[in-house]
Parts: sequence; C-alpha cells; structure tokens
Amino acid sequence: MRHRDEDSGVQTLMAARLKQPGFLRGGLGILIGIAFSALLTWVVRSSTGHSTFHHYLSSEAILTVSLIAAPLAFLVGLGGFDYWFYWAAGKKTRPEDHSSHGAYTWKDYFRINTDHKVIGIQYTVNSFFFLLVGGLIAMLMRAQLAQPGSHFVDANTFNGLFSVHASLLIFLFIIPVFAGLGNFVIPLMIGAPDMAFPRLNALSFWLLPIAGLMMLGSFFAPGGAFADGWTAYAPLSDTAPVGQTFFSMAVQFAGASSIMTALNFLVTIITMRAPGMSFFRMPLLVWANFATSLLVVIATPFIAASQFFILLDRGLHFNFFNAAKGGDVLMYQHVFWFYSHPAVYIMMLPGFGIISEVIAVKARKPIFGYRMMAFSLLAIVGLGFTVWAHHMFTSGMAAWIRIPMAITTAIIAVPTGIKIFSWLATLWRGVLHLDTPMLFALGFLTTFTLGGISGVMLAMIPFDIHVSATYFIVAHIHYVLFGGSLMTIFAGVYYWFPKMTGRMFDERLGKWHFWTTFVFFNLTFAPMHILGLEGMPRRVSTYASQFAGLNLFISLASFGLGISTLVFLYNMVTSWRGGPKSVSNPWRALTLEWQVSSPPPVFNFDRLPTVVGGPYEYGVPGAVHGIFAPTPAAAGSGVLREPSR
Amino acid sequence: MEAASIAHAGGHAHDEHHGPPEAHRSSRVEPQLLGMLLFIISEIMVFGGFFTAYFFIRVAQGDPWPAPGTNLPVEVAGMNTAILVSSSFTIHWAEQCIKKNNRFGFKAGMLLTFLLGCSFLFIQINEYANIGFAPQDGAQQTVFFSLTGLHGAHVFIGLLLLLFVTIRAFRGHYSPEEHRGVEVPGIYWHFVDVMWLVVYFTVYIL
Repeated sequence: MRHRDEDSGVQTLMAARLKQPGFLRGGLGILIGIAFSALLTWVVRSSTGHSTFHHYLSSEAILTVSLIAAPLAFLVGLGGFDYWFYWAAGKKTRPEDHSSHGAYTWKDYFRINTDHKVIGIQYTVNSFFFLLVGGLIAMLMRAQLAQPGSHFVDANTFNGLFSVHASLLIFLFIIPVFAGLGNFVIPLMIGAPDMAFPRLNALSFWLLPIAGLMMLGSFFAPGGAFADGWTAYAPLSDTAPVGQTFFSMAVQFAGASSIMTALNFLVTIITMRAPGMSFFRMPLLVWANFATSLLVVIATPFIAASQFFILLDRGLHFNFFNAAKGGDVLMYQHVFWFYSHPAVYIMMLPGFGIISEVIAVKARKPIFGYRMMAFSLLAIVGLGFTVWAHHMFTSGMAAWIRIPMAITTAIIAVPTGIKIFSWLATLWRGVLHLDTPMLFALGFLTTFTLGGISGVMLAMIPFDIHVSATYFIVAHIHYVLFGGSLMTIFAGVYYWFPKMTGRMFDERLGKWHFWTTFVFFNLTFAPMHILGLEGMPRRVSTYASQFAGLNLFISLASFGLGISTLVFLYNMVTSWRGGPKSVSNPWRALTLEWQVSSPPPVFNFDRLPTVVGGPYEYGVPGAVHGIFAPTPAAAGSGVLREPSR
Repeated sequence: MEAASIAHAGGHAHDEHHGPPEAHRSSRVEPQLLGMLLFIISEIMVFGGFFTAYFFIRVAQGDPWPAPGTNLPVEVAGMNTAILVSSSFTIHWAEQCIKKNNRFGFKAGMLLTFLLGCSFLFIQINEYANIGFAPQDGAQQTVFFSLTGLHGAHVFIGLLLLLFVTIRAFRGHYSPEEHRGVEVPGIYWHFVDVMWLVVYFTVYIL
C-alpha cells in the first residue's frame, strides 16, 4: 500500500516536471518530433503511391524531416515558445514579471533566460565550446598532414574534418561570439535596460547549440559527415550522402538565429538609446554592430535560400541544380556568395568595434576620426554587396563580370584602410597601456593588415587564377579570420571579462597567451603562403613529397597554437572561479557599461544615464560622456569625468 | 527629447522589487513596427534568392516559358490575385474600425480577411493538383513551384497570425488605444499581398 503511494507520488512528480518547461519536456519534444516525422513521411509517401516512392518508410526521409521537427519540438519543450503560444491561444496579455531575468545559480544558464547579460554569457561560452571542438578538429587535420601519404584518417573522413572545422568556426564561433559580446555590452553601452525583444533574444540563442550539435552529429550519419567544404557547392551537395542534410539544416538554424539577433540589435540601437545618446555619440562598438546587423538582415536570407534549394533538390528531387533537366549550378555559387561575401564582414566589423574601444581606452586618447570610422563601417556595408563574384573568378561565369568585381574588391580595401590608419593615428603619442587586451589589439593590427594585403593581391584576377584553391587561400582566410577576428575576440573577452564576471583575469597568463598565440599563429599560417604559391592544393588529405618539410613545420607549429589556447582556457576558468574581485571600472573607461557595478545589476541601471558628450574623450580635461540623472545629492559624484592626471 | 517609454507593466509600480527603469524611447518608430519592417526586409531577400534562381533558369538560359507542353492557368490565378488583393482592403477596413471603436466592423473585417486568405490558399492548392506538371519534371517547373510555394508558405504563416488576431478580436481584445497587435500582423499581410503581385506578374504574365 505504502509502496503504491510512493509510486504514484513519483509519477505525479514526473508528470509535473514534464509539464514544466525544461530539458525533460525538451527531451519529450524530441521524441514527439521524431514520431511526427515518421508519421508525416509515411502519410505523404503512401498517399503519393509506389510510382514515386519505392518504399513507404524511408529512414533518410524520416531523418530529414526529423532534423526540422525534433529541434523545434525541443525548443517548444524547453519553453522557448511558451509566451507566444499563450498569446496565440487568445488569452489575456500578462504583464512581464521578470521571473526569467538574471542568473542566480549556474542552472539559470541552462534555461530560457531573457536577460541580455545572461544570454550574452550563454552565447560566448557556447561559442568557445565550439571553438575548442573546431580547434581539435584542426589538430586532427594537421596530424594527418604532418607527412605526405599518412593514414591517420582516411580521405573521406579528412574531407569531413575540414568541412566541419570551417562550418563550426564560421557559423558557431565567429558570428555568434560577436553576437554574444554585443548582447552583453550593447544595451549597457547605450543605456538601455535590456534588448528590445528579450524573448526573441532567448530563442535566438537556443537555436545555436542545436545547429552546432547537428553539424557535429553529421559524423555519425551514414556515409560520414558532409565533406564538400563549408561552401557545399552544388551539384556535389545534391548527391552527397545524408550528412549533407545535417549541414543544410544546421545552417538554417544558425542563420535564423543570426537574423533574429541582428533584428533585435537594430531595433534596440534605434529605439532604446539613453537620452542624449545621438548616433554620433554612440561608441564605435555599437556602430559596428549596427552595420553588421544591417548586413545580416539583408544578406543572411540568401544563404537560407541556397540551402532551401539544396534541401528541396535532395529531399523532393527538385531540379535547381540538375543540369540534365535545365538546372543551373553556377546559380548556387552566386546565391551562396551573395551571402557569404558580406558574411566575411559580418565576421569582421564587430571586431573593428572592439578594437576601437580597446585602443582608445588603452592609449588614453580620443579615437582619431570618429566620424570617418563610423562612415567607413557603412561604406563597407554598401560595398560588401558588390564584390561577391570575386570568389568565382575560376568558376566559368561570364569573363567580363570579373573586371567590375576586381575593381570593387580593390576599392573595399579603402574604408578598411581608413580604419587601420585611424587606429594607428589614435596610438600616435598615446599613453600606451600594454596589457593583455591591448596586446591582442596590436597583434590584430599586425596580422589583419597582412591578411588584408593578401586579400588585395587576391583581388587581382591573374594572381587569383594562379593561386585559386591552393594553400594561399587557406593562409589568407586564416590571417583575416584567426589573425583578424579571433584576435579581436580575445581582446574583447579580456577587455570585458571583469565586467561580465566581476573578477580579474590573471594578467601574467594573459600575456603568455598572447605571445604564444601570436608567435605560433604566424609560424603556422605564414608558410602556407609559400605552399600556395608553389601550388599545393587545399582540401586534400595528402600531397606531393616536395611540400613535406614545410607541412611538418606547420603541423608542429599548429600544435603549439593549440596548446596556447589551453592557457587561455585555464586562465578564464580559474579567474572566473577564484580571481580577485574587480572594481567596476578597472580600465578607467568612459563608456556607460563601465559606470555600473561589475557584474552589472540585474536591471542594468537604477536610473538611466543622460549622455552629454562623446564616448572617447580620454585625456581631454573635464570631458563628460554620461551623467546619472539628476538627484540633487548625487549631482557631483554622478558625473563621469575623465580623471585628471 | 520625448520622454515616452516602452511599457513595462508591473515591476516598476512597486519600488522594492523594482523592475528595470523605463527604457528611454529614442525614436518615433515603435519597436514592434520597426522589428516587423526589418523582418520584412529579410523576407524580401529570401524571395530575392528565389528570384535569382528564376533569373538564372528562366532569363539567363533563354528557354521558352512556360516549358513546352505546359500551361499556366493565368485566368484562375488572376481571379486568385483579385481575392488576395481584396483581403488587403478588408484588413485595412478592420484596422480603421478598431481605431474608431467599431467592434462589429473590426470583427467582420478580420473574419472576412481570414476567409479570403483561406480561399486563396485553397485555390492555389487546387491549382497545384490540376496543373499537369510537377517540380520533379524540370528546372522551369521547379522554379514555378518553388516561387509560388514559397509565397504560399508565407500566406500560411500570415493566415496563422490572422487567425490569432481574429480569435482575440472575438474575445474582445484590442481597443482604439491599443491595437498594435492588429497593425503589426496587418503589415505582414500587406507584404504577402504585394509579394504575390510581384510573383504573379513575373511567373504568370511575363
């Protein structure tokens, strides 16, 4: 009797937990999603009849539909849609009670949370997880490439490795980590209590781990992971094994996430700035994210379209890329690069913003040419849409298109050059504080300029034809994405670490991290220029023996680069757990996020600040950026003045 | 600067568990409206991707359109266009009614819009069933089905939004002061209509 009571008690507890939003209900959602997919494909296939489909149940069809249905059902279970369902059911609107705001235990990071600061940390940590996975995959690739003809992995697995490496680091690391830092910092910087659409913000985060796990999960698909690079060119992607579907679907989820976040950033920046925060008083990080978000909203739908084409071709035998029935494979490249070229600016502009913050603060000088910095961001946005076909110089498209594309590609280096020279001019005669964030900013200036120069070389059609699909391309892309974006990310993470966690990182380890990263990065990727010029093709699991010496060198250097990341990881984890407490404004910065406690209070500001001046007036006597408005007692202490030296 | 603010109901009423301070409103455009407009921009770009496929497969290749041996039901689709366009007027009427607190007109307008949208989708599906070719037949057929199908998917989403608004209309929600929940889905519906005009013109008429 007692036994049965306990049983039913457990059952009701279980039932109650299944009704609560959370991972348990999410798991149930996944099961329901898969069952739904099996049912749907069975109904469709059996109603269409044997003439179209040989079997009424097909595991590939179920898998394809499950890849859409199961994640969505998981999100429903997790509670991502609860409020909207409530609204859709026609119930009374309920006032926001802020119960999903703030994080009080670590568990609060594992639920739907609407606090932009929690979401920012969720984004950042999730992105760094995928950085480590992507980096490990790179180590595996370098192990294979250490010697010609080695059999560490087979050729097909190798193709899967470089494809997943690139996709993870682009879609799950660089793009979202910027969104994460932006999420944390932007509302604070513009004096807003939160983002404009907090629930959308939460949902857009939770799409990301799904996309990442889907890409990793493709390794377990029959036929192996998607193996045609992160570009997934048709018609190869039309006929590849089912792992390709994982890629196309994951890109849809990651793309949806980035569109939602961009929309949220734009609305937040336009409608929620503090009084007095005119556009030209915004910190350049806000400008950078504004420009990036414009790019995302306009360009990302194109990659969604390109992957829709692939999915329709694969799943329903449409003929977008079937040349035998009039399809056009070149069209895939146009649609894909119309997103993916702007995407390289999506992966770079927020980094420009971070560098502007760090350099102005650490050089104790106003940023040189603030307005030109903002305008050059917008110029990059505009020009970014006019250069996509420079990725296709050898694709066989009409030859004359190459000429305007080469010209616009060379022109787009101009606004980027303006930024480089502005930073250099900011450094000129500044009082440089060479701590970790600043070291990464200076390292970025060096390596990104090198990557930019090889980019201008690649804009030249004859040269591009010579090095197309060689290691020169690999060197260039890593100089701009690792030496460019990742350096800015490290600078940003170190710079805002005290604000995000309330603790200081270990400066000595930070310096170690910078110097090992900087040295091993150059040792790894600089020789690839030479390999490319000598004609070693990229994306191959083995190579001619004449390249053996440099490849062994690169592999050894890349392991050093991998180890340098462990220094960073150790520093972050131990400092977060037990680092010394940070004061609210350790860098003596003027921007608003540093004027609240570290970490910031749950609702950011007790009173909204009023902005009365520019954000970078360092070293200008008496310059004021923001005032915490007006209670008579605090009138004197509330003014954020540049401390006089 | 205007001191208008985003309504954070609850929270800030009591000071001890205070919510966030009211956000300063730095633009005359409402956040929800701006969000919907930006969303529509990205939707237009999705259509842009599909129109790129249309351009390459229909225009650049220069083959006759529609593919030899196939016919597009221009008249039926024209009727359907009229139905969809008229629904834009009925939803506009519904919005005007709720602004003047004419509840009957509001409910009738929403219901009418929803039914017109449903009949558009019904006729479209019927057209698919009787059109005599399939997307698997060739690239041109693929383009026809994917463009009209993408639009159909948008009609379906729009219909869901309209359904929610209609249900709330019949339950007595919305008022002359608070009708943003009608306006924002209304903008989306207008977008779906205008997009159909573009699709109809390029796919059926040209």
